[in-house]
Amino acid sequence: MSDAKDAERPKLTSVGDPPSNLHLWKLPRGRHGLPRELVLQSQRERLLAGVVRVTATKGYQASSVADILKEAGVGRETYYKHFKDKEDCFVAANDALVANLETGVKGAYEQPGSWPQRVRRGLAVTLEWFAASPEIARVMMIEMGTVGPIASSRFRETFSRFTALLDDGREQIEDAPDLPNLSSIAGGAVFARVYEEVALGNATNLSHLLPQLTFELLLPYIGEEAAAEERAAAEAEQAEEARASQAQP
Amino acid sequence: MARGPTRADDGEGGGAAPRSVLTPSVPQDIGIQAQRQRILEAMAKSCAEKTFSATTIADIVSHASISRATFYKHFANKQDCFYATADTFLLELQGAAAVAYTRSGDSTVEMVRDVIAAVLEALAADPDQARMLLVEAPIVDAEIVRRYRGFAIAALEKLLRAGGVAGQAQANPEIAFGRAKVLITNYVAADQVEDLGRLLPDLVYIALLPYAGQETALAQAKASR
Repeated sequence: MSDAKDAERPKLTSVGDPPSNLHLWKLPRGRHGLPRELVLQSQRERLLAGVVRVTATKGYQASSVADILKEAGVGRETYYKHFKDKEDCFVAANDALVANLETGVKGAYEQPGSWPQRVRRGLAVTLEWFAASPEIARVMMIEMGTVGPIASSRFRETFSRFTALLDDGREQIEDAPDLPNLSSIAGGAVFARVYEEVALGNATNLSHLLPQLTFELLLPYIGEEAAAEERAAAEAEQAEEARASQAQP
Repeated sequence: MARGPTRADDGEGGGAAPRSVLTPSVPQDIGIQAQRQRILEAMAKSCAEKTFSATTIADIVSHASISRATFYKHFANKQDCFYATADTFLLELQGAAAVAYTRSGDSTVEMVRDVIAAVLEALAADPDQARMLLVEAPIVDAEIVRRYRGFAIAALEKLLRAGGVAGQAQANPEIAFGRAKVLITNYVAADQVEDLGRLLPDLVYIALLPYAGQETALAQAKASR
């Protein structure tokens, strides 16, 4: 089982390396999008996208394997070749989404620049990613908590993987505070806020929070003054983007 | 829900008179309250085992060893029961915080530390309820979290203002609450409630950050170790 999974992995990451591909996973707005089979090449990918869409529509607990099969247009036998049960399929879909987000965030974070600048860019990608698809955000943030113990521990692992990116800060920053949970304290600011907005159905507005969350994310590492500088940089960039988009209707 | 001062033996059937002699002064209210409490505990237990969304009335009824009809005497539905469970535990936490506050006669910062320690202890004492409030409540209804965030921030601000600690720091108190919630929830969700006490310095830092600023908050966290 795990062999079959691993064999499929490379394809999986290719599902959405560029975040633009993620629109395939969203709920179709009217059924006039691209023919699905053109873009979702493997059956496994179809099933992963299917479980996300079904969960977004009905909620995890209320949806059945039959719903997933119908949404994906895949047979039951094929399904059980790939997945043990509903939870297995859901967790695999979540993993694929997390991998996609992680690729984007790392890509931005690893660009040259000062450490606070790189953190801000990684955060910007995170907020845009969730804002781009409120349904996916809801599935990953809220529904993930209704699945069961495996999904819950996966959820915590994901949080620590993302905050671990920040641990870099300890080396990048001169006399970074000596708190054992520093990265979780910093990352928790973003996580809690994003979670709340998603739960309240405001995910599309997440990008507006970039300046404030840049400040709160950096604050524990670099203090008020330096964090405020980065917040100002985020505000300036947003203002610039707003001007540019007005100039080009 | 309250039934007035009727006695526990009322309605027990014709000739059960001797019971009223053995238990002469237990009003039925107490029995009803105990029953309600059992239902709340059953709800927390089932949430811990299988999450709120997978919990059924049948699970609650079986954990509480009551009949389905009894459940519906207390609560309209599963959601209603969940709100009651969350609120009751929240009151318990508030109570623990209030006791710690009146006992702590030291500086304002020490009061904050003692109150946080007491809340951590109360959470650790009841892992199922802690999980329900921290892990399940945000999924069931984000408004519950906003409500208890409101309580917590108001109480903290009052305490710090009274002690002259609240200044013009720039960090947002709601965000600070979010930091604390994430930190504590990660321990509770991973079944590590017994280690919650370790978070005291981190939580002192988080609580003071929006009011006293980074430098003071860090110094006080160090002093709380």
